[in-house]
Amino acid sequence: MTNYLLRRSFQLLLVLLLSSAVTYGLLMIAPGGPLTGLRQQQQSSTRQIDEQDIARIRARFELDLYLPFRFTRWLAGWPTGPVTLFGQTYLSDFQVGCYIPVEESVRQPDGRYAIRYKGCSDFVTLVELVGRRTSSGVLFGDFGDSWGILRDRPVSTLLVSRLPYTLQLIGLATLISLVIGVPLGVFSAVRQYSIFDYIVTTLAFMGSAMPTFFFGIVLILVFGILFKRAGWVYLPPGDAVAVRDYVVPLLGEVSKGSLKDVVLHLIMPTSVLVFVSIAGWSRFVRASMLEVLRQDYVRTARAKGLLERVVVAKHALRNALIPFVTVAVFTIPGLFGGAIITETVFNWPGMGRLFFDSLGRNDYPVSMAVLLISAFLTVVATLVGDVLYIIVDPRIKLT
Amino acid sequence: MTAAAADNTNIKSLAPEAMPKSESQAEIVFRRFRRHKLAMAASILLFFILLVSLFAKEVAPYGPTEIEVGNSFAAPFSPASDPARPMHYFGTDHLGRDYFSRIIYAARISLSVSVIVTLGSVIIGSLIGAISGYYGGLVDDVLQRTVEFLLTVPTLPILLILSSILLQAPETIPVPQFLINLVGLFMYIQPREAQQVIMVIIVLMAFGWLGIARLMRGMVLSLKNQDFVEAARALGVSDSSIIARHLIPNAFAPIIVNASLDLSGYIILEAALSFLGLGIQDPTPTWGNMLAFTQSYMFSHPWLPLIPGLPIFITALTFNFIGDGLRDALDPRLKL
Repeated sequence: MTNYLLRRSFQLLLVLLLSSAVTYGLLMIAPGGPLTGLRQQQQSSTRQIDEQDIARIRARFELDLYLPFRFTRWLAGWPTGPVTLFGQTYLSDFQVGCYIPVEESVRQPDGRYAIRYKGCSDFVTLVELVGRRTSSGVLFGDFGDSWGILRDRPVSTLLVSRLPYTLQLIGLATLISLVIGVPLGVFSAVRQYSIFDYIVTTLAFMGSAMPTFFFGIVLILVFGILFKRAGWVYLPPGDAVAVRDYVVPLLGEVSKGSLKDVVLHLIMPTSVLVFVSIAGWSRFVRASMLEVLRQDYVRTARAKGLLERVVVAKHALRNALIPFVTVAVFTIPGLFGGAIITETVFNWPGMGRLFFDSLGRNDYPVSMAVLLISAFLTVVATLVGDVLYIIVDPRIKLT
Repeated sequence: MTAAAADNTNIKSLAPEAMPKSESQAEIVFRRFRRHKLAMAASILLFFILLVSLFAKEVAPYGPTEIEVGNSFAAPFSPASDPARPMHYFGTDHLGRDYFSRIIYAARISLSVSVIVTLGSVIIGSLIGAISGYYGGLVDDVLQRTVEFLLTVPTLPILLILSSILLQAPETIPVPQFLINLVGLFMYIQPREAQQVIMVIIVLMAFGWLGIARLMRGMVLSLKNQDFVEAARALGVSDSSIIARHLIPNAFAPIIVNASLDLSGYIILEAALSFLGLGIQDPTPTWGNMLAFTQSYMFSHPWLPLIPGLPIFITALTFNFIGDGLRDALDPRLKL
């Protein structure tokens, strides 16, 4: 077991490293970034920004370093200067980047201009990295500073401020959908082809065909707008807490930040997530329950004259939930990563929307942090799922 | 020989009702499929939607980007300002473009995107899965590790990153000009917009083949040791034609079911990308970006979101029901 765990953890660590390298590379080759606005200002005549200014700002965001070094500095805060061995420094003239690149703008065949990299007039060497401000590396828990959303403040501050909202929303939605979805799946499997089964199946199909963004908008439309116009109890259409006190018919005055306020804001986004995920859970449990109910040992249990209730609860359900366990662990990364679309529709200040905003504003340290932590949790969930599978199902052998 | 043939016709003509009815595989599947009422209803509805989108130019009363100046946010079934023109069945949007026509053109684009993505993923996925399962060994290891790696990556965030890169710099992936023109011609859009559509297709395909590859590999693993493959090999049939002629066709039933469910997923995913502003952009009509625009005006015009939203939901639902019907029809273990 220990051997297996060690080997799996090593493999998954490798996967994590690879995936962070790939996503880092992807984000870094993405166009846009903190320099976009500056380049435009460079062309304006009123405020002149020269090469030196741009180079300084490039250096501040580490954009002057070559990609591999940028990545290792982001990952482990290394290299910070020349290599020192036994009091002797090596490689101090090693080029790790380009402080001032020589660029020319080339006219494309379609008439647009593109900036092309021609060469470098001032290289960054290892010795020049000494004394440069740097993060101590993601491996040591430092995600660096935000580029845009909360400029120059640590990314971790941003994450910590958003995390509670996501935990609140996704946690509640997951809990409710499990509590409703699993029994629905069990009952519709036990009563296969009954009216109840047809209704649940049809609802499940509707849930999986209903895009969260459309369902969210319809809820806002009905409960946020039409109900308010009709003078009924309405729900606030966006945000996690109100900015000022408001009055809801029947419920009376709701003060901002009170429990009533929080609950009113939670109802709609939670319902969207619950409706959509109940569909998935109930279909999954139904399929695995049907598979188990066909097994010989269930027939044996029935032949022994056991009550149907006992057969279902003790013999079938426990076995049907084995594959369920491995799927359920994947709610863990979701708890952190949030729901990008639902959070965007409801203007919910959680991690999903943070990620989406960071992409839109080219705040790549933030995007990377969210992605990396999500990938880490996914990997952990995979491992936990595998181990749980071995524990709950004695038939599985370690390989 | 002729006598035997004559005998045959004789027997058939003598007692046609006594002959066992011969049914082809397709007939059996269709007979079983017809029992699934919802799937049948969904197929008829889908056929109707396909027909309308196929004849988009003939059905739609207005062009997709035709602007009627001064007549924005017209209510459904309101007349055009020029009495000679047809009425706006679904009203007009914030620029005065006819919603009904745009929905129809959008259907053509959204449906073709999801069909192309599904076909592409099925082709790539089944080939990779079949090769991986058939050869085993190092090839299998490399391909499976790649698939597993891609499956651990959170999909939606990566799709968002990919499409934000490709939309801003579409020249990253060179696409032959004739393909762009072809897509533009088929979807009635400008070449520049067609390039965008192709980028979205590539982004969706990037992760689309993974599930199919896993499924195909599993099927091939269980098929490759069966006698008919052994027999083909003994006859000296080459590996490539064993894979193409024997393995893939025999493993195709679950792939078809999966593909029809995937179609519904891609309709939603494409709409989601366009809704978030990282898919197909505005002048090109898609259900997703039309819905995104209605969100800003829904407080003053509450019915607006329903116009582009319902088609997404209905189309996705029909694909789901058809997939379910196909699953029941193609599963030989299930006795109906």
